[in-house]
Amino acid sequence: MKTAKNIIIGILALAFTACDDYVNVDPIAEINSESYFNSEADYQQALIGAYDALQSTYLNVILSEIASDNSLCGGENANDVTSWQEIDDMEHTVVNSELRNVWKWMYGGINRVNYIFEFRDKTEFEGKDEVLGQAAFLRAYYYFELVKFFGDVPMPIDKRTQFGEESGFGRTPKSEVYAQIEKDLIFAADNLPIVQAELGRVTKGAAKALLGKAYLYQEKFQPAATVLQEIIDPSYGYDLADFGTLFLPEGENGIESVFEVQYSDQEGAGFDCLQCSEGNVLVGFSGIRGYNGPVYADGFGFNIPTQGLVDQFETGDARFEHTILDIEAHATANAGVEYSEGWEHTGYFNNKYIPRKGEQSIGDTHITNNRNYRSIRFADVLLMAAEALNRGGIDDSQAQIYLNRVRERADLGNVNATGAALTEAIYHERRVELAGEGHRFYDLVRIGMAADNIPNFVAGKHELFPIPQEEIDLLGGTISNNNNY
Amino acid sequence: MKLKLYISIALMSLLVHPVVSQDLNISGKITDSNGEGLPFASIVVKGTTNGTTCDLDGNYSIANINQQDVLVYSSVGFVTQEVLVGSQSIINITLSDDITSLEEVVVIGYGTTKEKELTGAVSVVKGDAIEALNPTRVEQALQGQTPGVDITSQSGSPGGGFNIRIRGISTNGDNKPLVLVDGVVYENLGSLNPSSIESINILKDASSGIYGVRGANGVILITTKKGKRNSKPEISVSSYYGVQETSRKLPVLNAFEYGVLANEAFAAGNSAVPFSDPVALGTGTDWQDLVFEKAPIQNYDFQVRGGGESTSYSFGAGYFSQEGIVGLDKASYDRLTVNFNSNTKLSEKLSLDLITNYTGSERKTLNENSIGSVLFNAVNMAPTMAPYDANGDFTLANGLGSEVINPLAQMANTYNDTWANRVFGRIGLNYEIFKGLTVESSLNFDYTNERFKEFIPIVNYGTGKVFNQVESSVNENQKNFWSYTWDNVLFYEKSISSDHNIKATLGTSSYRTRGEHLFTTGWGIPNNSVEFADISRANEIRIGGARSEQFDQRLMSYFARAEYNYKYKYLISVMARRDGSSRFGPEDKFGVFASGSLGWVMTEEDFMSNVDAIDFAKLRVSYGTTGNDKIGDFRYLSSLNGEGVYVFDGNSLSIGTATGGLSNPLIHWEKNNQFNIGLDLEFLNGHFGLTADYFIKTTEDLLLEVPVSGLTGVGAPGGASPVANAGSVRNKGLEVALSYTGTVNDQLKINVGYNITTLNNNTLSLNDGVSFIDAGGFGIGQLPPTRWVVGQPLGAFYGLVTDGVFQTEEEVAAAPGQTDASPGDIRYVDVDGDGTWNNEKDRTFIGSPIPSLSMGLTVSLDYKNFDFSAFANGGFGNDVVRNYERNLPLTNKTSYYTQRWTGEGSTNSFPRITTGANDNDLFSDFWLESGDYVRIKNIQLGYTIPSNVMKKIGATSLRIYTAINNLYTFTKYQGFDPNVSSGEPLNSGIDIGYYPQARTYQVGLNLTF
Repeated sequence: MKTAKNIIIGILALAFTACDDYVNVDPIAEINSESYFNSEADYQQALIGAYDALQSTYLNVILSEIASDNSLCGGENANDVTSWQEIDDMEHTVVNSELRNVWKWMYGGINRVNYIFEFRDKTEFEGKDEVLGQAAFLRAYYYFELVKFFGDVPMPIDKRTQFGEESGFGRTPKSEVYAQIEKDLIFAADNLPIVQAELGRVTKGAAKALLGKAYLYQEKFQPAATVLQEIIDPSYGYDLADFGTLFLPEGENGIESVFEVQYSDQEGAGFDCLQCSEGNVLVGFSGIRGYNGPVYADGFGFNIPTQGLVDQFETGDARFEHTILDIEAHATANAGVEYSEGWEHTGYFNNKYIPRKGEQSIGDTHITNNRNYRSIRFADVLLMAAEALNRGGIDDSQAQIYLNRVRERADLGNVNATGAALTEAIYHERRVELAGEGHRFYDLVRIGMAADNIPNFVAGKHELFPIPQEEIDLLGGTISNNNNY
Repeated sequence: MKLKLYISIALMSLLVHPVVSQDLNISGKITDSNGEGLPFASIVVKGTTNGTTCDLDGNYSIANINQQDVLVYSSVGFVTQEVLVGSQSIINITLSDDITSLEEVVVIGYGTTKEKELTGAVSVVKGDAIEALNPTRVEQALQGQTPGVDITSQSGSPGGGFNIRIRGISTNGDNKPLVLVDGVVYENLGSLNPSSIESINILKDASSGIYGVRGANGVILITTKKGKRNSKPEISVSSYYGVQETSRKLPVLNAFEYGVLANEAFAAGNSAVPFSDPVALGTGTDWQDLVFEKAPIQNYDFQVRGGGESTSYSFGAGYFSQEGIVGLDKASYDRLTVNFNSNTKLSEKLSLDLITNYTGSERKTLNENSIGSVLFNAVNMAPTMAPYDANGDFTLANGLGSEVINPLAQMANTYNDTWANRVFGRIGLNYEIFKGLTVESSLNFDYTNERFKEFIPIVNYGTGKVFNQVESSVNENQKNFWSYTWDNVLFYEKSISSDHNIKATLGTSSYRTRGEHLFTTGWGIPNNSVEFADISRANEIRIGGARSEQFDQRLMSYFARAEYNYKYKYLISVMARRDGSSRFGPEDKFGVFASGSLGWVMTEEDFMSNVDAIDFAKLRVSYGTTGNDKIGDFRYLSSLNGEGVYVFDGNSLSIGTATGGLSNPLIHWEKNNQFNIGLDLEFLNGHFGLTADYFIKTTEDLLLEVPVSGLTGVGAPGGASPVANAGSVRNKGLEVALSYTGTVNDQLKINVGYNITTLNNNTLSLNDGVSFIDAGGFGIGQLPPTRWVVGQPLGAFYGLVTDGVFQTEEEVAAAPGQTDASPGDIRYVDVDGDGTWNNEKDRTFIGSPIPSLSMGLTVSLDYKNFDFSAFANGGFGNDVVRNYERNLPLTNKTSYYTQRWTGEGSTNSFPRITTGANDNDLFSDFWLESGDYVRIKNIQLGYTIPSNVMKKIGATSLRIYTAINNLYTFTKYQGFDPNVSSGEPLNSGIDIGYYPQARTYQVGLNLTF
């Protein structure tokens, strides 16, 4: 009995002196973001995280096509992905979940870059500037997307925006955002090699090409021409590749590739987090509905090329069949082809980015395609350089050379025009060369021809997309939206 | 071990005085059924006023007795016994409990009280009532039994879970109440054998505050059956066997009707018609007939209970097996339970309580309750397709979109199994320091190991199906959970001259739960065969193919409660608790919660003594605060647990680091303030009982994942909104329970119980910035169908408003904005009145998923050896979204499409069918239906074999019975089951082909020795 009593008293003593420290628990196997960046490996790992957001730009690409006169939205029916249908019809409003995704996903990438810069001085190691150079490029890439979509945007740099800090941001004028983009790209170009050991890493050429593109969007023709011509120089090693295989697996990261967003089909994905997919979501969404046959694989039937685009191709253009799939002709030529017609069916599909038979696409085949997005091709660089030289009144003959280099590959004759006619020829060439690659809408906007070509496009309004109302509200409701929304 | 309070009315001893005329001295001890001495029990010589009372230990002695005297032993709360003295000189008596409802013990958390002393809102469900329903899980038995407790099924499949909501929902996060089984925190009630339950006590109001932190959503205390001291071993065996069938099949088109409508749709869309001769299609395949089966269900239970002088014990074993009405063995649940409980008096003052339970279970599942589930496919599959093709292979569901596949092929290619082993229980020591002061220390433990294995074969269900697999794989997961609660409590009780009754409770509780989970995926299974489906046989484990998770969550609590009553007339109880949770940051870990309640037993007042009709009346009021920490761990820290994966050098994945869910260092306790006023009445000689409660429960500082600016990087892969204290939700309602117990003559006994609950759920405030939260899913690629906003209930449906069907081109032309419409399409209301219709701007609130009224009714009759019972429950005032139709040109349709618009004036309710452009599938009130229902959940008829017959075979009693569960549901709802819910507050009431509760025909027996 004595013992029992002592035990009880012992337990009691223990229990009632139990202390508050009991609930101080550290996370198991979790890295606190405040105590990271202790080695080169940490920087490299964080950099991979910053690259990751590139994969979510599939949305930017498909929206640019759908918004332009190149493609119709398509899909299953008139209400399949309402937010895309509205953009196709220029009926989008301040409430559009997909535009909000663009906003959120791009700032997601920016935040990851800013995290690296927040701790840029914490640990020194050899080759750090190369890490920072890649990071700077990525930030420029994401801000370029934002400025194309929304114009003036809030511009946090070099520090993460923590929950509670976002309300301090107003809209930074577009010119200042471009200035930051230029600064980051110049830093990147200065610190990156022409050739990277690992395919998919940002190179000096990629940084210069994006810089040239940013200059061109601002109509800074002379610097654009200069920087683009630097990488046209053979010392950078770029050339035009065989168009027939350019968008096939063997064409990935080839000689024409200046910058490619890398995708893989080795990991499944879910519709609740499309930005998490390691695959190119655009591809499955652009595929042929209900396709069964020898060449392609089934898709969701979005991003349907218009007859207007098809009509732009000159007779004998070698690029046509690799750009546009005429499904009726295909079904006639191949026995046993089945497909169904979706919404806004034109009979055409984007042959550069539709699923093909034999692709692995683990998990859900529609959202895990491994097709890399050819973000900046050498042909694009040539055409941008030509445009800068021509529109800047710098050198039309050099512009013709670049333009004709692109036309030559397409088995088309030379253009000898100069001045405004040459400008038109370059615009035309951009449209057919880069059809289905997500450039058309911004090209039309920056050259002021959107209202003439896109149905329902209202000049003075639709050049920019509206900042999502929810995002305005979450910034405290003080910033104004774009004109006429 | 529970603290027991035995009441004695000292008055009794004052009424009697000794008479000196006899000469025998009788002594002995009066004990209760647990062998505890009964202090102040009275002993009176029958017919005289000669008597005495027991001392504190239950001992007595009485003088001047002769052999012919009859002694009357009595104590309040016990059945009075009479004993003829005869030649005895020592008479020990065990009094059995006199369970009138007012004396019933109610478990209130860290102690017990009696019904009549209760000041909080507590509902009690007895084991008998549970057993009578033969539930497969406890929740089924609770459904409709008590007011204020809403239970919906997540799925009718074997092992499927339930959602328990006490007094509404207050957050879009975790609304689950705290469930304790014999003091052990219990998350998955599926592993509890319902027939082992002695009672369920549900703390609904702020009296749950004794559980502070975890009590915000209410507390359910389950007590399992124990043995009693000084009782002979009682062996009971019970068993039932049943056959289940679906309680509903959806009316869908047969092949001929389908062909006709498909042709009409294609013609209307200017496409070639798919069926040249619909008549030739006949009736086609009834996919639901192929999918639904009659499935067995069986249960066996064995229990032994008893006790000696110092030990009571109970041992039980049970086996339960259920196959699915969809998939039979492919969707089944088996459960083995073993329990052993004992309570031993180690000494006069020290006792040891041991509870051990083991549950082993195995569950197999099919895809259910989602787009692409077996039932979804059975409803949407074309009736023109045969189950098998000419080669005997499963038919490919080509042409039916990406999600609809042959449900038979789907079942055949599903292989999964979850095994769980769980051991839980309690070791408790109780020591009486001195009379009235007891200390108890108990360790409640729970260990669970769960193994999951799944084989996903290479399979082709048809072109472009999202379920197609190009590679075979196997998933093997291991989950280990440990948790313990260590409670140390001091109890004190004292009565001062029986007028002032005091109880005090002081304690600490520490809780820790840990988990380690390992997930593995292997690719490439030899021969694509389930027999090789094992990680060890897989060809490859890829990056990300082995993952782990772990957690360690803790709570530290200090609590105190004081109860006082004056002559059981005026009652007061106050409690306070200080809780710390590892889920909050260093500055905000601890919160203090307090509550208090008052009771007034009016029938103890003099002025009520003349009111004969009322036997008992008590008014109760309580107010208090409870807390909630049900969020993820470490949301106050910013961790690198996001997804940062990219691809370098071709196709291989590089794993990087990235921030995951956003952190908020300022998060603190969510608070739940609840007011309750209640009335308990017994009247007309105890035949009628009424309990009514009105409550207002306001949850403040709601812990939510709040919408947050994209600038924070929340949209990046693996990102998530931060948790913040934002918003307030109020639930208020009235709960009434009525009971009648009566005897028509000696042979017919009637029991009727009825309860009704009203509930009003409203959002009082929500976070700044974006002041609404959109959620839920409807169709594919559509806008979220629910919106949470101030002034609306949680999960309110947000969609378009219909205004009939366009009859003519003129009507279409008069509706600006409906550019896709033609005659026969739905006309929508221009809600915002801007002159043109827009599918985003013209949405508004069109319904609520929360029933405003629910009720339950139990009737039981006993006539001679027959017993009959029936139980029904119902819910009213909520809406359900019909979302189980895929609505593609060639998917099948439900029969209501036969009422479609076919020309001007044909109907104003159902739109035309067409493959052409239209907006008819947008989320609108067209897809909303009333979820009102009344269900006869159980009827049962039993017969007890006369005991004289049973005695001949050595048994005490044998009852045989037959029962039907889910006999019939009265509802206008067209889907499978109106009473199902995902349990997610912002995505509930959206029916994607919910697996219905089975109708079960049972026969069973209960045998005791």
